[in-house]
Amino acid sequence: MQKNTAFAKWRLCATQICTHTGFRFLMKLSICYFTILFITAQLLLAKTGSSQSIKDETITIGAKNEPLKKTLKKIEKLSGFQMAYPSEKIIQYKNVTLQTETRTIERTLRLILDNTDLDFKQFDKKIIIFEKNPPKSRAAEAENVQGATLKYAVGELKGKVYFDDNSNPVPGATVSLKEDPGVGTATDNSGAFKLSIPDKYKEKAFSIVVAFIGYNKEEVLVTNIDAPLVVRLKPVSSALNEVVVTALGIKKERKAVGFSVTEVKGDELVQAREVNVANALEGKVAGVNVSSLATGPGGSSRVVIRGSGSIAGNNQPLYVVNGMPIDNIPSTPTTTNSGGLNVDNGDGISGINPDDIESISVLKGGTASALYGSRASNGVILITTKKGATQRGVGVEYNSTFTEETPELIPDWQYEYGEGKFGTKVTTQQDAISYGRLSYGAKLDGSSVIQFDGVSRPYVAQKNNIKNFYNTGKTFTNTVAFTGGSDVLNFRFSVSDLNDKGIVPNNTLDKKIANLNVNAKLGKNLSVEAVGQYNVENNLNRPGLGDALGNPNWGTYMIANSVDIRSLAPGYDANGNEILWNSSGFATNPYFTINRFQQKDTKNRFIGYASVKYNLLDNLFIKGRVSDDYLSYEYTGITPTGTAYAPQGAISVVNYNTAEINSELTLNYNTRFLKDFNANVLAGGNQQKHTLNGLEVDGSNFNIPFFYSLSNVNSSVTLPRYSKTAVNSVFASADFDYKSIVYLSVTGRNDWFSTLSLDQDHIFYPSVSGSFILSEAVKLPSWINYAKLRGSWAQVGGGAPNPYGINLTYTQVAGSTMPLQEITRDANGNLVIPNSKLKPYTSQTVEVGAEMKFFNNRLGLDLALYNRSTINDIVPANVDPLSGFTSAYLNIGKINNKGIELLLTGRPVKASHFSWDVTYTYSYNKNTVERLAAGQNSFFLGTSVNSYVSVYAEVGKPYGQIQAYQLKKDAQGRTVYAANGNEEQGNLVDMGTGVAPSAMSITNSFNYHRFNFSFLIDGKYGNKIYSGTNLYADRFGLLKSTLPGRDNGLALNGVDDNDQPFTYTVPVSNIATFYDNRKNISSFFVYDGSFIKLRQVILGYNVPTKNIGPIRIQSLNLSFVGRNLLILYKKAPNIDPESTFTAGNEQGMEMFGVPRVRSYGLNLMVKF
Amino acid sequence: MKKIYFGVCLMSFVAMMTPSCKKDFAAINTDPNAISSPTVPYLFSKAELDAFNANYYASQISNVAGFIQHFANYKLTSGFGDKYLTNNEAGTALDAYYQNTVSEISDVIRYSKAAPDVNKLSQARIWRVYVMHRMTDMFGDLPYSQAVQGYTSNTFFPVYDAQSAIYADMLKELDEAIQAFDASKATFGSADLLYGGNITSWKKFGYSLMLRLGMRLTKVDPATAQTWVQKAIAGGVIVNDTDIAVMKYQSGSINLNRNPIAVDLIGNDYSATAYGLNLIEGDKYSDTYVNYLKGNHDPRLSVIAVVWNYTDPSNPVPDTTAANQKGMANGLTSQPVNFQSYSEPNPATILQYTAPLMVLTNAETNFLLAEATLRGWNTGAGTVASYYNAGVTAAMHQWALFGPGGVISDAKIAAYLTAHPFTGGTNDQQMQQIHTQFWASLIYDEYESFSDWRRTGYPVLTPVNYQGNNSNGTIPRRMMYPLSEISTNTANYNAAVVRQGPDLLTTHVWWDK
Repeated sequence: MQKNTAFAKWRLCATQICTHTGFRFLMKLSICYFTILFITAQLLLAKTGSSQSIKDETITIGAKNEPLKKTLKKIEKLSGFQMAYPSEKIIQYKNVTLQTETRTIERTLRLILDNTDLDFKQFDKKIIIFEKNPPKSRAAEAENVQGATLKYAVGELKGKVYFDDNSNPVPGATVSLKEDPGVGTATDNSGAFKLSIPDKYKEKAFSIVVAFIGYNKEEVLVTNIDAPLVVRLKPVSSALNEVVVTALGIKKERKAVGFSVTEVKGDELVQAREVNVANALEGKVAGVNVSSLATGPGGSSRVVIRGSGSIAGNNQPLYVVNGMPIDNIPSTPTTTNSGGLNVDNGDGISGINPDDIESISVLKGGTASALYGSRASNGVILITTKKGATQRGVGVEYNSTFTEETPELIPDWQYEYGEGKFGTKVTTQQDAISYGRLSYGAKLDGSSVIQFDGVSRPYVAQKNNIKNFYNTGKTFTNTVAFTGGSDVLNFRFSVSDLNDKGIVPNNTLDKKIANLNVNAKLGKNLSVEAVGQYNVENNLNRPGLGDALGNPNWGTYMIANSVDIRSLAPGYDANGNEILWNSSGFATNPYFTINRFQQKDTKNRFIGYASVKYNLLDNLFIKGRVSDDYLSYEYTGITPTGTAYAPQGAISVVNYNTAEINSELTLNYNTRFLKDFNANVLAGGNQQKHTLNGLEVDGSNFNIPFFYSLSNVNSSVTLPRYSKTAVNSVFASADFDYKSIVYLSVTGRNDWFSTLSLDQDHIFYPSVSGSFILSEAVKLPSWINYAKLRGSWAQVGGGAPNPYGINLTYTQVAGSTMPLQEITRDANGNLVIPNSKLKPYTSQTVEVGAEMKFFNNRLGLDLALYNRSTINDIVPANVDPLSGFTSAYLNIGKINNKGIELLLTGRPVKASHFSWDVTYTYSYNKNTVERLAAGQNSFFLGTSVNSYVSVYAEVGKPYGQIQAYQLKKDAQGRTVYAANGNEEQGNLVDMGTGVAPSAMSITNSFNYHRFNFSFLIDGKYGNKIYSGTNLYADRFGLLKSTLPGRDNGLALNGVDDNDQPFTYTVPVSNIATFYDNRKNISSFFVYDGSFIKLRQVILGYNVPTKNIGPIRIQSLNLSFVGRNLLILYKKAPNIDPESTFTAGNEQGMEMFGVPRVRSYGLNLMVKF
Repeated sequence: MKKIYFGVCLMSFVAMMTPSCKKDFAAINTDPNAISSPTVPYLFSKAELDAFNANYYASQISNVAGFIQHFANYKLTSGFGDKYLTNNEAGTALDAYYQNTVSEISDVIRYSKAAPDVNKLSQARIWRVYVMHRMTDMFGDLPYSQAVQGYTSNTFFPVYDAQSAIYADMLKELDEAIQAFDASKATFGSADLLYGGNITSWKKFGYSLMLRLGMRLTKVDPATAQTWVQKAIAGGVIVNDTDIAVMKYQSGSINLNRNPIAVDLIGNDYSATAYGLNLIEGDKYSDTYVNYLKGNHDPRLSVIAVVWNYTDPSNPVPDTTAANQKGMANGLTSQPVNFQSYSEPNPATILQYTAPLMVLTNAETNFLLAEATLRGWNTGAGTVASYYNAGVTAAMHQWALFGPGGVISDAKIAAYLTAHPFTGGTNDQQMQQIHTQFWASLIYDEYESFSDWRRTGYPVLTPVNYQGNNSNGTIPRRMMYPLSEISTNTANYNAAVVRQGPDLLTTHVWWDK
């Protein structure tokens, strides 16, 4: 344990100054938090309006014969102001020597630039350095040289150049004539320019080119020389000095980062929205596999980065907001094979308002996330929320989106034969109920036929059952945000309201989020930041999922095709009993479900964050942060009186609260040594505590019918739900750079876990990464603007065991009238053999990559290759249930992911009023389960209703194999039939993985004058999906593939059990039985899950704004937005291959989820 | 300097909020809702209840009761026992059985090894035999010597013991445990839900169980059977109504406190609003069973069965009139017309959460004593006929425990015995009469009824022949192992199959050869 000595010292230090109880900690947290809020509020009132100025801000700086560029960079670092200067110009000036002294920034710059032709100007947080007297154009020079002998007839073009991002004028921008680059000038201090245009261009349209360092060149087509031009410059989208947010919220220059990190800007998430913001990442980031679930509004999302890394554990990333983790555990898991009150209660990430997001950084690899230790083995999604900015007055932003949702897909059922079983129409009400879900009747002929309710109706196709049952969903989101700030304090306050009326009738979601961010600079060295967010989320009648019980979608899809779904309404009779429409009491009447079942959950959530930063020295600061993600959850689910499968009803009440508390202290030291080396060293400690405390009460059989109260149940069980875990950590990192050419970063973290045995409760996670800026080191062809190579190695871990898993314990049976005791079960009710030797698994990642820019930054490439191996994975080895237990957790699994990610960005067209940008991503991940427990070849992940198919992790194969039964064939490939003509069930085989290994996306954006248009197409392929919908549609005669044989019987030709030729004609009366039997040959219903979708379309218009009275409208954008508009390609019939409904590891199964929707509407963004 | 000082202050402040003490880890990782060592009596109570609590409906009513035609079911999904279809329900019940009652009673034994606990140990050992014999009777070979040792010895994949070895050990266990009782030592007292810790009663229960197990061996090893039967009779079995083993239940608010038969039947079929028609799973009494009682004018019929009278359709009422009772045929595939007019359990007796559950009664011991006498193994005072009469009488008396609706007067019992006296005849005829009565009395202890039928062949049942059945149209002879055995304990499972025969419904267990 030599390597841990330094950490041991840390531990000692930390131990001496620690306090004890969570309560005191919470008190402190809240006191600290409110103090900061209070102080900042005071300051806010006092000083709003003024701004940070280079006239007042001071820096301490000196220089000894160093290049001007370097001095400017130092000033940039020290002052916090971003510098923009013409690199090619400043090289010519001599080196700078300057006495070390504290001066204002303005004074410092004056001194340095004293003997140059350069001037400077402050804009907001930028300092622009430009040439005082731009060189005269070649035309003008020529004029001087040759005197009056050659004279252009000149006309003058006037214009002004502004920064697009803050509307300030641009001084020192070069303006030249595209047709003759020799004709040029530069803008003055107010951004204005005058360009003399030679006569020969005056008569027709010509273009000018405006350029400024750090900004895209703008080409403007000039058609009228007399009209003053306004040119806006946009920052280079992936400028070389782009800054990205990395682990712990540390900002780094992109070129210094030795691993793949992808950033998504908040404004990409706010126009075409998703109720769950995680779903909006779909198709946006290479290597991130997002599955939005078919569970209705407010449901969960499943995000897996670079493949599944754990066989049985959590495979989703850690979500971190402003550097501190939040809790993303789904409230209750949705299972794939149960029904009743089986709903998706949503996850933690859905509580973040996209309007509050400044950016999302996706840390994909182990190195990127190594500083987060055990929790980051599946990657980290880092969310940085918006802050206020120094500005005059209070800025107001308003974003409003209204969308409508409709089912995106209507199944292509057969509409030739109607209800019935034997090729005939039903003749009695009893038969109409018995065959209520069978479409094996006679040909539809419009005659009058009795139905389930005794009423005779025309025997005609009902093609609109889906349209008629579901509502048009409506989602209305409104966010208003106020920002403001002074040089001391900035704030941003936002309030958001989301109102969603789901497509399933009576299902609504109402979500309100208020977020306040305050940051202040209290004096020169102290700065504080506090964020408080409060969510209230009410969800009514989330739809039941999985099996038919209480599932509104089941009957809607499976009702016989000649019965109008609306005739089932309202679903209950005069006595309140469910109206039966089919022979199984378990296939609940859809209207009974929506009208009588009740599901209600309320989430109250508080996310608090506070940080204090103090500069001990110019290059040494200390930062302390605390955060608390607190959730209070209340759920009531009611199976009503009169339900066919539970006539006396049932009630389930779950109340609990969770708290995820993190506190962290870091020290950061920055120094320069050996002339060209820079070092940034960080060390810190973190403590994480997670508690869950609550009660679950399940009652059944209401004594007084229809009175739905826990006080009214005949039987009830109350279970305490409690768990508490803690992880203490110390960590350190050191970043070195040499001449901004070579970067090296090493990190280490040691975690101590409360859930492990005390004698072996800690693990160390190291990482190292580096990058090399090839384009700075050697001279590359001019068409290569930038080239960076990077590489990294990390060893992280994850999946620390569940609490209380070390020793066998016993529990009293709750609610018993006599004392009864039993062996303690885990949260899922399973008996797990305790294992005191368990430790978190280890995940090793090697990653290499390259970033390049070509053709004047018009084409960009980012490539990553990685290989990640999880060893010692915690596998709940299935033990024989007759051992008294169901599983034993063992550190024995091994799983590997290797893959490639590609990001291409391009700008094929760039004209003055028109531009076209393309972003393309591609990713491929090869997953292999390499080892399970000794003698264990497969590990069960989940199963479908009736276990028609199951999903396994299998040794030697990609994770998530769907196992289904084949059709039995003899050696010659002939189908084997049973004596009664049924196809025989063959072997249980692997059909492939339910997780798509490959994904691709392409985004095209077009800008034309005030219009912008973009669309995103994405696709996944290489996976399989089992469709329960199709299996049941086959059983019930809705599939077109069940049509053969309906008129004259189905002739079969194959072999019997003894390989003897077998010919048989299934009589018409047995056709239903023949096709029903195919449920035993489930491979018929496992399809290729590939798809390509038109995921998103935005058509926007920047409305010209006028000031309305005293209100100054800065911008107004109106967009048409659409999500999931079209499925361009798919193989699976009748379903959307993305219709899974569980966020769990058993991916690749579909069955009667809430129909996936096409959503379209309008978005309005206004800035005041 | 001031700066540094301020920094240190700040650092300590934040550090205070960052307690990285490890010392509270042990406390954090202690579940406040669990205890680290068991309270043995409470575990024993649970083990007693759990012997009857595991999937009663799916494993007995829906399965075995169809084999032996106590019940009939018209559906395919729940009528697998009725139609001899393969299913995993009995297997699921086996898993639940091992993970609850077997595991719990084994823990009780593990924690009762100290000398002062000898009576507790004996009670636990006898109960473990009771629990285990029911499972081996259903499946044959099973993990026994290595069962439920996943935690204690990390035996994740227990070997299967031959049923012959299991029986030998169970009989030895009974003998040893009974001998070990010591009246001067403590018992489980009121935590013993069966006998309140009464040692005398436990001895009688132990010997009665020995009688049952010994008699089970008559086909495979008559000599050993005789030895154990005689030992049991000599030791003293339950003969009086007051000594019978009955689990009593309370209404309570959780199902574990309630009669599991009532809980499962109400939950799966006979809810308060079903009125004989809206049954969830679709079970009715078999016409084989109803016809037997009805044909003999058996007074139990009105105690056990009702039909629903729909004279006033808005208020259907249960009707216990014997003449109106009607059983449903086994092997149906669709709901018969007038479904409500078929007999089902009487809500006034059977469908009560507080109803008793017959564990082992003097009806059984008397029938077995009758058989022992017939075989010449019983040197007691009675005759075959007297034990038969005592058995019938006990079987009718028992229903009084179900409340007023279950009381059958002595006069009625006497009249029944007069009308249906023990007729004697050949050994086979006597066996048929004894064991047909035994079958009639064992309604709801489907496991035992199935075992007795397999051993004796009585009553004579006519199998149904549903197209697509999995037993070649014969009444099954055992349950199939759980699917989880095939997937997790493959090698040991295969060894058992090689020894015992294919894992089919039709394979005979060792004592049923």
